[in-house]
Amino acid sequence: MPIIEVCDLQKKYPLPDDKSQKFFAVNGVSLSIEQGEVFGILGPNGAGKTTTLEMIEGLNDIDGGEARIDGISVRTDPYQVKERIGVQLQANEYFDNVSLGELLSLFGALYHRTIDPLVLLAKVQLEDKAKAKPAALSGGQKQRFSIACALVNEPKVLFLDEPTTGLDPQAKRNLWDLVQGLNDGGMTIVLTTHNMEEAEELCDRIAIMDHGKIIAEGTPQALILEFAPEPPDAPLHGNLEDVFLSLTGHGLRE
Amino acid sequence: MMLNPLQRHLTSVFLKIFLRDRRSIFFSLFFPVIFMTVFSLANVREQEPINIGVANLSSNQVALDFVQRLSDSPVFNTVTGESAPLREALIAGDQTMVLELPADFGQSPETRSSEINVVVDAAQVSQLGLIMPVLDQTLLSIEREFRGIAPLFTIAIEDVQARSQRYIDFLLPGLMALTLMNLSIAGSGFNIVEYRRKGILKRLFVTPIEPKDFITAIVLARMTIVLVQLTVLIFLAVVLLDIRIVGNFFAYYFVVIFGTVLFLCLGFSLGSLAKTQETIGALGNVVIMPQIFLSGIFYPIESMPEWIQPLAQLLPLSFVSTGMREIANAGAALSEILPSLLGIAVWLAISFLAATRLFLWKEVAS
Repeated sequence: MPIIEVCDLQKKYPLPDDKSQKFFAVNGVSLSIEQGEVFGILGPNGAGKTTTLEMIEGLNDIDGGEARIDGISVRTDPYQVKERIGVQLQANEYFDNVSLGELLSLFGALYHRTIDPLVLLAKVQLEDKAKAKPAALSGGQKQRFSIACALVNEPKVLFLDEPTTGLDPQAKRNLWDLVQGLNDGGMTIVLTTHNMEEAEELCDRIAIMDHGKIIAEGTPQALILEFAPEPPDAPLHGNLEDVFLSLTGHGLRE
Repeated sequence: MMLNPLQRHLTSVFLKIFLRDRRSIFFSLFFPVIFMTVFSLANVREQEPINIGVANLSSNQVALDFVQRLSDSPVFNTVTGESAPLREALIAGDQTMVLELPADFGQSPETRSSEINVVVDAAQVSQLGLIMPVLDQTLLSIEREFRGIAPLFTIAIEDVQARSQRYIDFLLPGLMALTLMNLSIAGSGFNIVEYRRKGILKRLFVTPIEPKDFITAIVLARMTIVLVQLTVLIFLAVVLLDIRIVGNFFAYYFVVIFGTVLFLCLGFSLGSLAKTQETIGALGNVVIMPQIFLSGIFYPIESMPEWIQPLAQLLPLSFVSTGMREIANAGAALSEILPSLLGIAVWLAISFLAATRLFLWKEVAS
């Protein structure tokens, strides 16, 4: 049985120009993600990736359709779902003047658990930063700390929203290793990204979204075979970025 | 009230955040302390005796007695002399008032009463209200002695003096009410907007925390902060500035706690209404500013223009500061400040309803 089942998920927002009109930010998304998979959601800005994730995580109201995690409905049992998932959001600011160790203890308390912050910090190679404040961390350290916070409840599913955006190559590789390690331990991981190399490297399967819909889904290899232009069209050889661009077009978004 | 471990933990984190924010602590104490110090110093000057000149044309014992009593009074700085130079000093502004005792002052009281001529400068006429009762009293007590009447009204007179409070005594409860309002609205309203802007509320909302845990923690942490800050202020006021608090401390702190809950609820409503830092700043000003000036913090509501008084009396801060002042200055019991308590209760009900309507966890978080 898949650990995440999403069926015909919908989210409507008022149009920015005309509040009386509504548009579908997410329009009938269905997903089925197996236990132990690393699943990537790709798409241009405004495609509905983050809204889809937020509905699955219980952060945003579901306007239509259904999402189940570990067999539990997000709509009817959001608290049960929250107990079982870990979430890393795009914004990763925390309370001022509270150290990493204290923040992790607080997050543990939010799940009614007493945790050892040092063990979690060691998992993300920040064991020497227990007394540091989040403001003093580098971009890569902040992302690793966000993941540590998402791990306090030993989640079955970990959601990562653009985890490597803005990181330098070293920090990016380091984060990939971390995600890979977590997945090797059996954790299911769902991530969004703009980085095609990341999707190819990390993800077992990928869904490409545009205009609130999934327009392609499969393993990176299958998608390349199916959608990448033939070599004459692409001078080097087809890769996932070619897939992405040929599916979503070259027009700039936002 | 039983707290679950999560509520305890979150409360302690909020307290830590405040304790480590030295600047906030400094500013929340700085202004009340500066105000208190400035006004208690200014107060010393206000109490300087009023200069009066006495031209005594009589030489009998009653007149001398009268002059002696005026000289003994702390209210006056008495100079005796001839009428003409004293009148010149009055015109020059060196004297506030000149009293001329007629030659027959106090003589043959059975047949006619003596008349004292009071010469004043029209510009100083506002002082008359302060001076005349003291003159009257002094004359009254001389007359009593002279006629051998027992001073029936001694007690009443002493009571009047006991209540002659200094401005700083009036100011302290108002300043404390103002401080508790600012700390409370900042603690709920401003902090919520700040936490939302940083995405902290959203991050908390991903965990199984319930709104009541979050609100309980903020209320408890702020309550502790308000109580500690006000206690520090009271300590400074009593020990350093010799300000007297007449009433019962339990009653006083009861009003403080009641008022804090009211302004925390108000803050939650504002923080839920305002979506950005700028809006909460503007909304906060709209709510806080008029109350600073209209709630009888710095001067009594009774001294405001007639038409604004009914409105000013209905402001939430008016009820809190009036209640605190009646306890601190007049020693009122809780049962004697029921109108204030009722006013706070009504405002509390209104802001509690607004807060529960507006504070939708999901919307406030994202």
